[in-house]
Amino acid sequence: MRYTYYPGCTLYTTARSLNDCALKVAERIGFELAEMPAWTCCGAIYNTNSDDLAASVGPVRNLARASQLGDKLVTLCAACYNVLKRTNTALNDPEKQDVAKRLLDYVEEPFERPIEVIHYLEVLRDDIGWDQIRGKVTRPLSGLKVASYYGCLMVRPPKVLQFDDPTNPMCLDDLMAAIGAEPVQFDFKTKCCGGYLVVSQHDVAVKCSRRIIDNAADYNADVLVTTCPLCHYNLDALQRDMKAEDPDFQPIPVLYFTQLLGLATGLRKRELALDYNKIDPRPVLKKVGNVS
Amino acid sequence: MEYPDKTLIRQIETLSGQGISDCYQCGRCTSGCPVVDEMDLNPRQTILLLQLGKAEEVLGSNGIWLCASCMVCGTRCPCEVDYARIAEACRAIVLRAKNSKVDPDSIKDENIEEIPQQAFVASFRKFAG
Ligand code: SF4
Ligand code: SF4
Repeated sequence: MRYTYYPGCTLYTTARSLNDCALKVAERIGFELAEMPAWTCCGAIYNTNSDDLAASVGPVRNLARASQLGDKLVTLCAACYNVLKRTNTALNDPEKQDVAKRLLDYVEEPFERPIEVIHYLEVLRDDIGWDQIRGKVTRPLSGLKVASYYGCLMVRPPKVLQFDDPTNPMCLDDLMAAIGAEPVQFDFKTKCCGGYLVVSQHDVAVKCSRRIIDNAADYNADVLVTTCPLCHYNLDALQRDMKAEDPDFQPIPVLYFTQLLGLATGLRKRELALDYNKIDPRPVLKKVGNVS
Repeated sequence: MEYPDKTLIRQIETLSGQGISDCYQCGRCTSGCPVVDEMDLNPRQTILLLQLGKAEEVLGSNGIWLCASCMVCGTRCPCEVDYARIAEACRAIVLRAKNSKVDPDSIKDENIEEIPQQAFVASFRKFAG
């Protein structure tokens, strides 16, 4: 199977490990992600102001170009998924056809066929299936307790995204179970990490993220997993501030789900790019006998 | 702050696509908001002030700048009011009057190196005029 793939900006820089593991794992599992040519930034947030059409130009152009390549567009960053899927839904909204037409006229790219924006996790869950993935596991992550963190952008607004149960999503948990890990109960799966507030109101983001780490700790998680580069940054890098504020704070490594998937399907240590994680996950991965 | 347009409530409704009077003040939005402890006006209070015609007070509050756009409020509201869009509209009105809330020059070098650009793009789009 071959899919058109939209990586987005951050997957080329701070979230390289999310991207690289995903591409290598896809090969192992038996599907291909073909990066679409000439993609541009999705805009990182979905615009909701009724008169701000300019903010939609980027995502609309990307969707139109993707429609020339196939009928599905695969995303991996939670923010790109959110923005592109919502933009795509708005373009098809019968009540918003005047705006849709203005945008499509402006970008001067033909929309060749209806297109569906999906997330890499949906490829795994809906097209490949957990059984098939289980069959590709060469190194089951037995005994590793994982808290699956979905954040906001994978599940809200639920009517548009329809990714999973919006209050208790299970997709990542099911994937973790398929690769032999132990998904733990986790109340703050979809609680906000503070997102972009880290740029202008750093301390607020630290507070929001601390709640999530504490909740994962309450359920004895060894690691957290995420699919959003910004959640990853806040939950991982801001543990430095949590430790500075509270000497008793116990750090927990935060990984991209693709890193654990890579580990379980036999990627080499170097390919997992664990060096980029601020809280070193190697000690805890070693504890369960998984890093060679 | 002075705003040239005197029909602020209408502007907020048009920009956000939300009806201010649709809210019946139950507070479900606010009970799920992750940053409510930091806000001088919480989402429910903000809407109440708008219902009372006090838009200037809302535009001068810190609540609208603390919203992380997590979309919990709109997901929970029984009246289908999307408060995040109301906050977005309020911010737009302030920002379009050239009152930026984030100064790129004030960001520390080490943070520029480290923070994902996804955050910068989002932050500037939310907070820069
Ligand atoms: S949940 Fe809806 S109706 Fe209730 S206070 Fe909030 S906006 Fe108003
Ligand atoms: S979208 Fe903003 S106001 Fe609404 S719950 Fe989230 S942070 Fe609070």
